[in-house]
Formats: sequence, structure tokens, C-alpha cells
Amino acid sequence: MDAYLLAIGTIVLIYALLAIGLNLQYGETGLINFGHVAFFALGAYTSALLALKGWPLPLSFLAAGAIAAFSAVPLGFAALRLRDDYLAIVTLGFSETVRLVIQQEEWLTRGVQGLPGIPGLFTSLAGTPRAWAIFLTLLAVTALAAYAISLLQRSPFGRMLRAIRDNEPAVEALGKNPSGFKIRVFMLGAALAGIAGAFYAHFITFLTPEQFIPLVTFYVWMSIILGGIGSLRGALLGSTLLMFFLEGSRFIRDILPGVAEVQMANIRLAMIGLALVLFVLYRPQGLFGKRPV
Amino acid sequence: MVGFFNLLINGLIEGLIIALPALSLTLVMGINRFPNASAGDTMTFGAYAALGLQYAGVAFFSFAVMGSLIAGALLSWLCYRLVFQRLSRAPMVASLIAAIGIGFMIRSVIGLVAGHDLHTFSLPLVRAWNFDGIRVLPTDLAIAGVALALLILVFCWLKLSPSGRQLRAIADNPDLAKLSGIRPQRLMGMLWLLSGALCASGGVLLGMKAVVMPELGWEMLLPAFAAMILGGIGQPLGAVVGAVLMGIAQELSIPIVGPSYKIAVAFVVMLLVLMVRPGGLFGHVEKVR
Amino acid sequence: MHSSRLILTATAMAAAMCAAPGLAQAQEFRIGALNPVTGAGSPYGPGMQKAILLAVDEVNAAGGAGGRKLVVFTEDTQTQPQAAVLAAKKLIEVNKVQAILGTWSSGVTLAVMPLTDAAGLIQMNVSGAPAISVEDKKDLVWRFQATNDRFGQAFAEIAKKRNFTRPGTMAFNNASGRGNTDGFTKAWTAGGGKVVGSVVYEPNRPSYRSELQQVLGEKPDVIVTGSYLPDTTIFLREWYQSGEKNKWIMPGWAANPELIKALGPEVTEGLISVDTVSSETAPSYKNFDAAYLKATGKPASSNVYAAMTYDMVISLALAMEAAGPNANVEQINSKIRDVSNAPGTKVYSFAEGKSLLGRKQKIDYDGASSKLDFDKFGDASPDFGVYVIEKGQLVRKEMISLKPASGN
Repeated sequence: MDAYLLAIGTIVLIYALLAIGLNLQYGETGLINFGHVAFFALGAYTSALLALKGWPLPLSFLAAGAIAAFSAVPLGFAALRLRDDYLAIVTLGFSETVRLVIQQEEWLTRGVQGLPGIPGLFTSLAGTPRAWAIFLTLLAVTALAAYAISLLQRSPFGRMLRAIRDNEPAVEALGKNPSGFKIRVFMLGAALAGIAGAFYAHFITFLTPEQFIPLVTFYVWMSIILGGIGSLRGALLGSTLLMFFLEGSRFIRDILPGVAEVQMANIRLAMIGLALVLFVLYRPQGLFGKRPV
Repeated sequence: MVGFFNLLINGLIEGLIIALPALSLTLVMGINRFPNASAGDTMTFGAYAALGLQYAGVAFFSFAVMGSLIAGALLSWLCYRLVFQRLSRAPMVASLIAAIGIGFMIRSVIGLVAGHDLHTFSLPLVRAWNFDGIRVLPTDLAIAGVALALLILVFCWLKLSPSGRQLRAIADNPDLAKLSGIRPQRLMGMLWLLSGALCASGGVLLGMKAVVMPELGWEMLLPAFAAMILGGIGQPLGAVVGAVLMGIAQELSIPIVGPSYKIAVAFVVMLLVLMVRPGGLFGHVEKVR
Repeated sequence: MHSSRLILTATAMAAAMCAAPGLAQAQEFRIGALNPVTGAGSPYGPGMQKAILLAVDEVNAAGGAGGRKLVVFTEDTQTQPQAAVLAAKKLIEVNKVQAILGTWSSGVTLAVMPLTDAAGLIQMNVSGAPAISVEDKKDLVWRFQATNDRFGQAFAEIAKKRNFTRPGTMAFNNASGRGNTDGFTKAWTAGGGKVVGSVVYEPNRPSYRSELQQVLGEKPDVIVTGSYLPDTTIFLREWYQSGEKNKWIMPGWAANPELIKALGPEVTEGLISVDTVSSETAPSYKNFDAAYLKATGKPASSNVYAAMTYDMVISLALAMEAAGPNANVEQINSKIRDVSNAPGTKVYSFAEGKSLLGRKQKIDYDGASSKLDFDKFGDASPDFGVYVIEKGQLVRKEMISLKPASGN
């Protein structure tokens, strides 16, 4: 039972890392990023491909974060020139294009056939100890990221970010250039997503482009909405709630035996949709958030 | 050369179909200021509504289509009254997320009720007219005709009717519009009825061309958004021109980038235009909200 | 965490004692049924699950296998690797299964295999990707469906037999669709032929006229596809409207009665449809068909994968019987070829096999889905049925049996 719960916990933490990154981009700076899954994908494939070439995992993880961060630069520049609503759609298009490139460039990624046999984490261990090792490592990384970001939030950099979010023209009028800040935030959030992707790749050990569809971005948005924008605790709780929705339906069968299992997927989708609408309407600050969506 | 024209025609037809939801999106975006991510699933709803009416024995296909337009209009209007209206003061992301949630709910209910098997409209199959290699499908012409007719109707309404003019005023400059005494409430209702009808019609036409499945409309969202942005948010003509241009660009790019990358072409075109003209082809630049 | 673990353990023990009156834990063999109940595989998943349950009942009614009763735990893969991994972990960690049967999508199988291999469990699947054979490093993975490559080879044989000389290919852009056409191209060019035109198309598009154009421009006499029902409906309709006259060879899950219903007899006339077929003349199939019909109201022919999952349980049970009581998973695994491959007396049911094994005879179980002669990769090779759509009906024309592979 332990190893199963730890597996769920591992996925929760992966989503939490994604949520923390997105929270930074939107919650702190107001950047509407609907292409977050692109950084997740780039991080996953980078780490997987490098590891398959023999790179040690810590290095491939770092590379994953770095590549994801650099890929955010063009998007960061786009964010500078574009209004909110435009940015949402442009980022969505970006993530689909990234997925398409991963899918088509088979010489590199094996495309639709998928990338099997990715080296796992802590292969010297087995069973429950291994599950613990993976979970705790991820927990440490997530905690570190959360701590680093909370430091950032309290720093002058963080104050600048919030100033940009709340009143950009004023910031410009004061002679500061918001562009550099926005881009750096984008890169940081992307780097976190990239590292989350690396963990994902070495946990599932098999990658296909289909695993990186826009739905994943929406799940991350759901996490931060449920948990509360701008709150680190919220990112973690939101991811837990998300997992509850996604995995919990497995156990519904025992509670509602009348429901055909085939319809489970539809019911799951309906419940997620309903949760999104209800939270946005009645609890826009989420469970822990300081400000509404 | 023959190939070129065939691709052109394909792109034109696809573009016209996308023009309908793109128009709906641009109006909502221009007036309510958020991307209506439930538009795709409203399209799906429209297709299934027409299908349902056909199965229920409605006499002519055109009646089924009209029924689906009404159903789509009502659905959108309901969504507005129950959800989006309450979010009008909230940030844009709130409405966007709510729209996504509504889209999920529509899709799941369709799946629960109609199942996941695919359906097709029972329409007669006719061979294409062949002009020396250039092929024109009569069904495509019918689809294009219906799309054009609807678009022209909507444009006439927007340009000529008082409500239409008021809507355009609000889309252009909401504060000024309010100052001149335009009361938005009733107009909003009309907007959402129109938006739903447009999406439903797009869904029916799409279902006629392809097949009717629960995922039908969701896949068309990104192209529709891209078309809207290309044309300029809040610019009805821009949405239509953008959709057609994008459809044609996609098809014409196939010999160069292959059928898989053509989807990325829409995105690239949109991005290029935005870099040069952040307001889109017909729009004006608006950096501050 | 500590106290809840205690409660959970206590509950589990109590449940186990209630569930198995008079039988100790060690007298059970636990099977995980991991099927695509929802998602893309949902047309097949529920039937596959049912077939496993049927087979388990049959084995238990005959007195169990190797002195043990079979117990099944069912989970849904949602046809997604991530969900499948979590489901597999639950089966392995919570339910402590000793074998995981019935994964359908290649992505799911490839994601689940590392888990079952690490835990030393038997895995049986109906997926097509050749990579599965490559990744099967411990020989614990058994495949009951033809590989995509074999499908392609069957297509090539069919095309050759019908004297086509200028084939084109159209492939849905996923592992299975590409696998089919790549397999065809490999086999066709190995036979000295040339594929005149090919296109790979994206899913969920409203129209495939341009993609179709790309292939038709090369004037093929037959187009071989790796496609699915929705996209096939769209491009076949467009092909018909274009007036071209080439023939089509398609996989059976695309060219099926649903397609005929959607497009009508005129459009689909002459379409060649190929699919793996169950061993319909074998007594094992006949028994399974009857049981499946009774349990689900549908004939076994409606779900070719159900016969495969049924065979999974039977061959596993026979291997357990051959390995004897108290055998561990590894020992049972090593007997699977023994009971399924030639030489040996042909048996067609668990009871038959059990009694012969009791008399120390070597058996060869020929299942409902295929002869189940596993090659060195653990792949079985079902036969292919070739159908042609005539006047709105699928008419069986011939069967193709590919020789067990030396390669894939």
C-alpha cells in the first residue's frame, strides 16, 4: 500500500512543481501562460534523451531545467508585446507547436513510436524503499523550489514583480524596464516545469508526444485555482485535489456500483468541469489564495 | 498548377467553416473581453443537436439545422446568464477557466447521452465536378454557401440594425458606448444568442464535412482563435478574413512542410502578424487595458 | 500515517479472511486484469475484462490450477500511460497480484512493463508495437496479438496475391498506424517492389482531401492504410467523391460494419479489410464464444481481443498446473511455452489440459484466439482473415498464416 500511495504522492508533487512554476508566472507577474506543458515536455524529453545517451541523472535534470528555461525566452519576448488575451492563445499555440516538433522529429525523439526504456530513478533500490527514495527526493526539490520562491517574493525582485502585475505603466514611468523582469520570471517558471518533466520522464520511463497535450496545462491551472493563486501551500493542496479527482474515480466504482465503468471517463470530465466553474464562481481565491483569480 | 488550385479550394472551404466560430469568438472577445473556450464544445453540441433532430424524424435537413441553431443559441445564452455574467468584473482568466470548465461539461454530457461512437449526417453522396483535374465537391459548395449566407446575415445585422451598431460600439470602446447611453444588458443577451447560433452552425457544417464525434469542436478551437487574432480582436470582418487566409495558408503549406506541420503554420502566421501588427490585420493597437 | 496503516492492514486481513473462507492466502494466485475500460480502447476493454473473468471462473470450476484458486482484481488503464502506471502500481502494491493481463495500447504496455519486470511478474498484452519485444528483457512479457510489422507483412502478401504493383500508403500518425504501413513498406520493398506514394496524416482533422491528393497524385492501384474509423470515414468519402478508381487494403478496426453503415454500400464496395481472426474452427473458440455470448449478449467475433485475454488466463493456468503446486512466478513463467507450443497433444480447454498434465503428458494448448505458439520473443501469431466488402457485407475470402518470425 505504501508504494502505491507514494506513487500517487510522486505524481502530486510533479504537478505541484508545475503549479509553483505557473503560479510564479501568473500569480506574481500576471503573465497568462497557457502553454506550460511545453516546458514540461521539453524537460522530460531532454532528460530522457540525455540519460539514454549515458548522462548521469543529476546532470540531465539540470539540462532539462536549462533547456526549458531557454525555450521560454522567445515566449517571454512575445509576452512583452502582447495583451493578456492574445498571450493566452499564443502560448497555447506555442505548446502545440512544441509537441508537434517533438512528434515529427523522429530521428531525435522516435516521435509517435515513443521513447521506451528510459533509465529510472534509484535503480539500485527496489520496492517500497525505492518509492520512498523517489518521493523524498522530489519532496526535497519541491520544498527547495518553494522556499527559493518565497525568498524571491520577499526580495526587491519580488516587489518589482508585484508592481509590474499591479501597475505596469507606473513602473515604466519610474524608469524601470519591466521586460527583463518578465522574461526572467518566465524562464524561472519554465525551468521548474522542465525539472518536473525530468522527474516525470524517469518515473514513467516511457514518453510519447500524446502525454503532453494542452489538457495537462489546464490541469495545472486547475491546481492553482483550487489551491489559490499566489499561494505556495495552495499549489501543493491544489495538486492533491487534482489527483483526488483523477485517481479517485478508480474507487467510485466501489461506492456507486450502479455506474457503468465505461462512463467513468465522462463523469470524471464532467466533475472536473463543474469544479472549475464552481470554484471560479464561488471561491475564486481558491482554498489558500490571497487574491482572486 | 492543378494541385495548387485544389489546395486553394480545400483551404477556402475549411476556412469558411472556421470563420463561423471565429466570428463568434471575436465578438465575445471584443465585448466580454475573454477567450470563450467553450465555443468548440458548443459547436459539437450544435452538430449533435442537428443529428438528434434528424434521428427524431424531422422532415428536412434544413429544419434540423435551424433547430440546432436555436439550441446552440439557447445553450450559449444560458451559459452567459448563469456563469459569464457573474464573472464580468472578474479578471479575464476567471472567465477563460470557467469557459474551459463549461466546455468539459458539455462534452461529457454529450458523451454520456450519445456515446462515443461516431455518427454521420445522412446526406446524399455526390461525385465531384472535375474541371480538368480541379475538383469541386457539390457538398463543399453547399457548405460554403451556407457559411457565406450566415456570415452575410450576421454582417448585415451588425452593420444595419440598431442593436448591431450598438454591439460594435461596445466592442470598439465600451466606456464611450456607455456614456452615449447604450444599455448593455439586453445587448449581451443578443450577443450570446448570436454567438451560440454561430458556433452551432459551424459545428453542423463541420459534421457534414467530416464526422460527428464528441471531440469535434475542441480540435477546432485553436485554429478559430488563431483566425480571430490574425484578423484583430473585435473585428468581425477580420475574423472571417483571418479564417479564410489561415485555411488557405495551411493547405498551401502542405507541399512545403507536409500535412503534419501544416497545423503549426496557423500558429506561425498568427505570431508573425502579431509581431508586426499587434492588433491583427484589421485591429488597432491596444497595449493598455 | 502510522495508525492509518495499522487500520488498513487490519482491514485488509479481515477482508482477506472473509473473502477466502477455509482457504489460506498461499492457495491463491492473484491476477490483475488491466484493461482499457475507458479511453480509445473502450470499445474492447470491457469485453476483454469479461473474458478474463469468464476464464477465471472456468479454471476455478475445474478445481483451480496447480492447487490454487485464481483471484482477479480489475483496473482501468484509461488508455493512458500515466493512469495505467498508477493502476499497475495499485495492483502490484495493494492487491499484490502475481500477473498483469490484458493491456491493449502499446503505450500502456510499454509503460507498465518496467513495473512488472521489476516486480518479477508475468505480463500479457495485446499490443502491436515491435518495441515491446525489444524491451522484454526478462522474457516475462507475452504478446497475444500480431505485431504491427506482421500486419504490414499480411498486407503485403495480400497485395501481392492480388497482383497489385503500384501501392500507396496512408498512415494515421500514431505508433499503430505508422507501424502497419511501415511494416507493409518493409515487406513490400523486401519483395522487390516499390511504394509509389505515401502520406502520414494527423488525427482529428475535418478533411483529408489534401493528404489524399498527395497519394492519389502518384496514381496507385491500391492504397494500404493504417487508419481508424473516424478518419477513414472522412477520407474514404472524399476519395469516392473524387472519382478515383484505386482499391483499398485496410485494417479491420477501420473497415468494419460501422464504416459501411456510415458511408453506405456503394462507397465501400470492394474494400479489402484485414484483421487478426480467432481460431474459429477450434473447439476452444466455440466454447469461449458460447460462454461470451451468454455473459455479454454479443458474439466473440465482435471483440477479437476478448478471445486473446481469455487465452491469457487459460495458458497461464495450464502453466501453473504444469509447474506444480507451490511453484513461484518464475517457474510458472518458464512453463508457458511448454504448455502452448508444439510438440504435444493438442488440447482445447483447461480441463482437458489439466487431466493430461495429471498423467504427465506434454500438451499443446491451441487457444480461442490463435494456436498460441510463442516465438522467442514471447509473441504469438494469430492468423489473419481477409475480407472484401461486397454489397454492404463483409465477405471472408481467405486466411493468411504468417510463419513464426525469425526476426520480429
